[in-house]
Amino acid sequence: MSDVRVLIVDDQLPFREASRMVVELTDGFEVAGEAENGEAGVEMATELRPDLVLMDVQMPGIDGFETTRRIRELDDPPHVLMMSTHESGAFEEPALAAGAFAFVPKSAFSMDELEAAWANAHRDASA
Amino acid sequence: MSLRVVIAEDSFLMREGIATVIGLDERLHLVGTSGSYDELISVVDEQRPDVVITDIRMPPSQTDEGIRAANALRTQYPEIGVVVLSQYVEPAYAVRLFEDGSEGRAYLLKERIGDGDELSAAALRVSEGGTVVDPKVVDALMQDHSRTKSSVLDRLTEREQEVLEQMATGSSNGGIGEALFISARSVEKHINSIFTKFDLEQSTDTHRRVRAVLVYLTEGSDDS
Repeated sequence: MSDVRVLIVDDQLPFREASRMVVELTDGFEVAGEAENGEAGVEMATELRPDLVLMDVQMPGIDGFETTRRIRELDDPPHVLMMSTHESGAFEEPALAAGAFAFVPKSAFSMDELEAAWANAHRDASA
Repeated sequence: MSLRVVIAEDSFLMREGIATVIGLDERLHLVGTSGSYDELISVVDEQRPDVVITDIRMPPSQTDEGIRAANALRTQYPEIGVVVLSQYVEPAYAVRLFEDGSEGRAYLLKERIGDGDELSAAALRVSEGGTVVDPKVVDALMQDHSRTKSSVLDRLTEREQEVLEQMATGSSNGGIGEALFISARSVEKHINSIFTKFDLEQSTDTHRRVRAVLVYLTEGSDDS
């Protein structure tokens, strides 16, 4: 089975690098690309056709919610997992409303979390 | 020569984010990582870094390990600067961090990891014995203070409170003047007035500055 291709959308380099490391260290996942803002995220999602998008919430320009909405409007869209430095429960509802399958605080994101989140996305999609 | 830095953080993503910030700044050099209080103390004993960047909540109790480590290191290795990273604005932790002295201590929110420059600047400042308080923490303290009925801060004029707020974030007199659009001489005048109102006339200048910020932090969080 081919690797799950992941697009990382985050305006902050330290978190893009850290997310890249999580993806690269997780068996069965690979980085398809990195976008520094929402607009670039939509473009890259269109061109690269990733399986999964890791989406930061707060970004300059269009934020993660709007970027997620636009990506989810694509034909056969990728799954979107929204993430934020803030552990606010207030992000979960708008994340799901925008079309993400889940929201996780960045502090909780790890190799195990990526695997579990991907399994959940598939379970929910096939339910 | 670059500063030798140890990271203490149990979240993988946060730890790698901090490591990236350090890797991108040639003035900083990562010499060790740890994910709990005990590991941190042991890595520090081994590496004797210039600076520790630590999360507050780590194993074993996930409560205040970072604050306890910062205070323990003050006794054991007073020359090591410590940047404490907090997920939330928690004034009580800031006060605990600074109550035995604010030299070489910074209290920043984790969201600063994303803007690497601020984290690097804080690491450099604490290595020189300086103090940094996240502007959002200062704002929260001011809001707490506005709900406080009586406080020594009430002795200050509005302008003096603004100057003190800037002092708490570690600004120099020049920086305070620029932020508030007033001359350096005016800043000095306001600071001297703050020292007088806080009865800090007898101490050395650096010590008075630190004490004034501590009064501000303590008074501001009383009724939180």
